[in-house]
Amino acid sequence: MMRRLFLLATGAFWLAVLAFWLAGRGAGPLPPAQPALPAGGQLWSLAEVAAHAAPEDCWMAIDGQVYDVSAYLPEHPSRPAIIVPWCGREASEAYRTKGKGRSHSLAADQLLATYRIGRLQP
Amino acid sequence: MSRRLSIPLITLVLVLAPAWWAWPEGLPPWRSAAIVSGWIAWGLLLASLLLMIREAWLADRLGGLARMYAWHHRLGVLAYFVLLLHPLALALDGWHESPAMAWAELSPGQQGWAEWFGWLALLAMMVGLASALARRLAYRHWRWLHHLFSVSVLLGLAHLLWLGLDAPALWAPLLALAFIFWRVLRADQGWGARPYLVTGVVPAGDAMVEVALRPLGQALDFLPGQFVLAAFFDGPGFRGCGEFHPFTVSGVGPAGRFSLGIKALGDCTRRLQALESGVAARVQGPFGDFLSELAGPQFWLAGGVGVTPFMARLRAGALAQPVHLLYLHRDAGDAAYDDELQALAAQQPLLRLESVTCGAAPPDLSLLLPAAGELAGSDCYLCGPPGMIAAAVRVLAARQVPPARTHFESFDFR
Repeated sequence: MMRRLFLLATGAFWLAVLAFWLAGRGAGPLPPAQPALPAGGQLWSLAEVAAHAAPEDCWMAIDGQVYDVSAYLPEHPSRPAIIVPWCGREASEAYRTKGKGRSHSLAADQLLATYRIGRLQP
Repeated sequence: MSRRLSIPLITLVLVLAPAWWAWPEGLPPWRSAAIVSGWIAWGLLLASLLLMIREAWLADRLGGLARMYAWHHRLGVLAYFVLLLHPLALALDGWHESPAMAWAELSPGQQGWAEWFGWLALLAMMVGLASALARRLAYRHWRWLHHLFSVSVLLGLAHLLWLGLDAPALWAPLLALAFIFWRVLRADQGWGARPYLVTGVVPAGDAMVEVALRPLGQALDFLPGQFVLAAFFDGPGFRGCGEFHPFTVSGVGPAGRFSLGIKALGDCTRRLQALESGVAARVQGPFGDFLSELAGPQFWLAGGVGVTPFMARLRAGALAQPVHLLYLHRDAGDAAYDDELQALAAQQPLLRLESVTCGAAPPDLSLLLPAAGELAGSDCYLCGPPGMIAAAVRVLAARQVPPARTHFESFDFR
């Protein structure tokens, strides 16, 4: 009984993974995050970014772009104490190293792009 | 806490605590499902690992080792099923954006080390479970492949660390590792077992020996019907396998001395047929409560080596209630203790012994078991091969014996 359930569940799982692979492959690779961003957008100063330093109102400047990640914060896999201190700040280095010397994935880059609200004033 | 409810209640706490702690607020439904399924899987795995800890005091509180292992299997498989939902829910969360994003959520090549560790943990669990459920796999291979579950826990811990989670989220994998170490050190390495010495080995039938032991330190207290986990080591002319296997106590003597009936059923027990006096052993237990509450008329059914716990009870002294012992064996060589049983039956007026040679084919229990009239009001104790017990339970139920009056223990510890 257990063995049959195991085989059934495992088979169904790999079929689902195969279906996601086929669908994802048919849709083509994820576009690179940065080129997908519009070149323009509103200019924000670092002081303006700094005014949004709370978990429920969290902006970050990353690689010259400004992001409002307030809506994403609850979804971030790490505990809030890791990401919240970067609200209202220039967080490029933290984003690139994740605080432990590891960069974010391409999928994370893609996700970040959806929260872009403008560019950082040079 | 009732022993019957103890395991479900512990499981509920271990599952609900991480799920409650990690319960997301305001997230998309599939993202929430992914997070919650991951933590529920951890909770189920924790409960499963707790139940593989082999301690006599724990087994006593949780309803016996056989019950613990049955739940250990069930919860391990359930943890795996829930874990399968975790990556699929993440992919479904990405699906609302695009199929490419859904695949990106699954593909470790497009993610990072956290996802690689997550996938490897799942694969280790998948292979471990496939081997655990493979009935024909040799015990030594099964045992080694079972370590894949420990590997899976370590990879799961790495998955959480690389996701950036730390205390208190790490209590679940750390507790899981603690349970694994507990089991490995106390049970498999024998730290929780007592030292004994083999003082005698006598043949008890074909491919079966009776082994007498005396304690080298503090003795364990045994009751007839109980079993132990014992490992035998090297002696002057004997090379032990050092693995702990379950054996039923066949006799309880003074000053902590006891004996075990050991039938050659696998590689290690075959080697134990050549056991000799002077060999060191380690013994853990005692486990089980078979025959612990005898009251009123009894019907005992023994199949082959399954006669061992009944021998222990009959050797312990005169019966206080009438007992009908039906002893089934394939042939004269399979009839362990038969001569001694005949002698005991002659001495004990309350014992009615029926020793039946059945041949190689499974016996027809509907012909051999007593009629409903004799069984009425009797407690039925069964010990023997799983097939015989299953058949006997069916026949007894058909003869109106209530399930509460039918007692047996499973030794299927794989």
